[in-house]
Amino acid sequence: MLLRKYWEVYKKFVSTSVAVETSFRTSFILLIIMDIFFFFSTITSIRFIYDHVATIGPWNKDQLLFFITFMLMIDNLHMMIFSQSFWEFSAHLKTGSLDYIILRPMNTIFSVFFRHFRASSLIITPLFIGHLIYYGISLKLDYLAWVMIPLFVILSLALLVILEFILSTSMFWLTDGLGINFLRMQFQQLARWPNFIYQSLTRKVLSFVIPILLIGSGPVHFLIDHTHYKLLLYMGVAVVAGLFILANLWKIGLRRYDSASS
Amino acid sequence: MTAPLIQTQNLGKQFVSFKKLPGVMGSFTSFFKRNPIIKNAVEDFTFTVKAGEIVGLLGPNGAGKTTLMKMFTGIIVPSHGELKILGHNPWERDKALRKKMALVMGQKSQLWWDIPAMDSFLLLQKYYEISDEQFEERISKMSELLGVKDLLHIHVRKLSLGERMKMELMASLLHNPDVIFLDEPTIGLDLVAQENIRHFIKQYHEENQCCIIITSHYMQDVQALCDRLVLIFDGKKSFDGPIEEFEHILGHEKSVTFNFSCPQDPKHSFFSSLNTKWNEELTQLELRIEEARLREVSAQMIQDFPVEDFQTEKLPIERVMKELMNNPDLLRKKSP
Repeated sequence: MLLRKYWEVYKKFVSTSVAVETSFRTSFILLIIMDIFFFFSTITSIRFIYDHVATIGPWNKDQLLFFITFMLMIDNLHMMIFSQSFWEFSAHLKTGSLDYIILRPMNTIFSVFFRHFRASSLIITPLFIGHLIYYGISLKLDYLAWVMIPLFVILSLALLVILEFILSTSMFWLTDGLGINFLRMQFQQLARWPNFIYQSLTRKVLSFVIPILLIGSGPVHFLIDHTHYKLLLYMGVAVVAGLFILANLWKIGLRRYDSASS
Repeated sequence: MTAPLIQTQNLGKQFVSFKKLPGVMGSFTSFFKRNPIIKNAVEDFTFTVKAGEIVGLLGPNGAGKTTLMKMFTGIIVPSHGELKILGHNPWERDKALRKKMALVMGQKSQLWWDIPAMDSFLLLQKYYEISDEQFEERISKMSELLGVKDLLHIHVRKLSLGERMKMELMASLLHNPDVIFLDEPTIGLDLVAQENIRHFIKQYHEENQCCIIITSHYMQDVQALCDRLVLIFDGKKSFDGPIEEFEHILGHEKSVTFNFSCPQDPKHSFFSSLNTKWNEELTQLELRIEEARLREVSAQMIQDFPVEDFQTEKLPIERVMKELMNNPDLLRKKSP
């Protein structure tokens, strides 16, 4: 019953976002072009590097391209479901428009971060899925790997946004979210590369303290070689711990909110 | 006896800000060193509101009216004191409570700017789990009453301020709340739009017998809607009582205007003991007289001076408010 209510509200979030986005046609088309450009420039860069080297760390070209397309898939979903809400949250705090969101009889994290949907990203999702399947076939993934890919995409996206939600909660104290949003984007940038390219200490910090490297490296290492499951376990722990931290920090943040004057 | 819907006890809210000197140097200085300024937006505010009451919160800008509204709705957390709305602490954000109350802010919009109001209403329908039947009935009734039936499918950004405010009201009342907080709902509207909104609120209250707390700068709002008035100065409650009592706060005085057929001498001994206000031509005199002396002074005036006509009215509430804003000590003098 509760899930159904949230689903009904989410459908309205999507339809109102689509209505808003499609009101500005040029912007809508430009966003699609930008996303396609970003996708192909990333893939081309990797291909170019592999024209000059056989491996990067332990991975060959197909393995790294599979990792990159996995992360691009996460990025596409992130852009579609969450990205705009992070920027809007900062504006809501500054202008006091969070007031009405807080009043609604729903979970405020849901109301704040699931509110804006980007239909332009949905249009090019098949491009990302197609490439992920293509590179998966190139790697000759087994049956278990194919079954696990959708679940891992959801798990990875969950870990990414939980970490971002936690980071964004600090906006209750800082009010201006520009710095936090750029920091958030830098974390995303770090996660776009496999864990083995980082030095030992950096890798440990970014895997176990701020577990941003687990987002892609945890699932992809396992998909390529099923004996590498430890990072996946850490990932599960990180998601649960992250949810716990988020729930408590968010409560404190809401109590800190002083609402801009009208 | 009915249990109060809203109950506060020594409620208070402090805000901390800092002073920034102008210019680049001021920016650098305040970047490294900030002197906090603590402001008591609301102090020791105690009051109760019963079911079905309409209470007007009045006070100058910065008096703490909106801060109170935000505490009542759980948007901000009080710094001290107790607050119960329908038996809940609003800042605990109980979903059951949020379903029973509504807030309209004249200066903030809850509607999505780039889509028609109807789309926002449909979203609210899902938020508050309103059945299709009830939703359609309420939309139809309220849009009819407010005269916005043809505007439901127009983008909100294309609506006038008055039309948008009517949509804001509809958005807030869709879920049929028990307690409604209206924070300056008529601000910036022309006289006709103000009148429409007032008429709608009055009718809505009569039909639903809900509890309404309204803040406004327009005394007409309060006079037309409220039986009870709460006055706030510097975050403190200065007056709480029936509106008639408020009108008599400066004493039981009446305002009488006399028009004469020719100019009069304002230095005449008869006028020396009276509170007078003459027009430039000295043909019109406005007097403020104690109710008890009204008959005697009027009779004398008609007998001794060439009075063409005269009219009496009680002191307008605006005038009482203006005098109190200029001189808040008047309230203290009245307090026992």
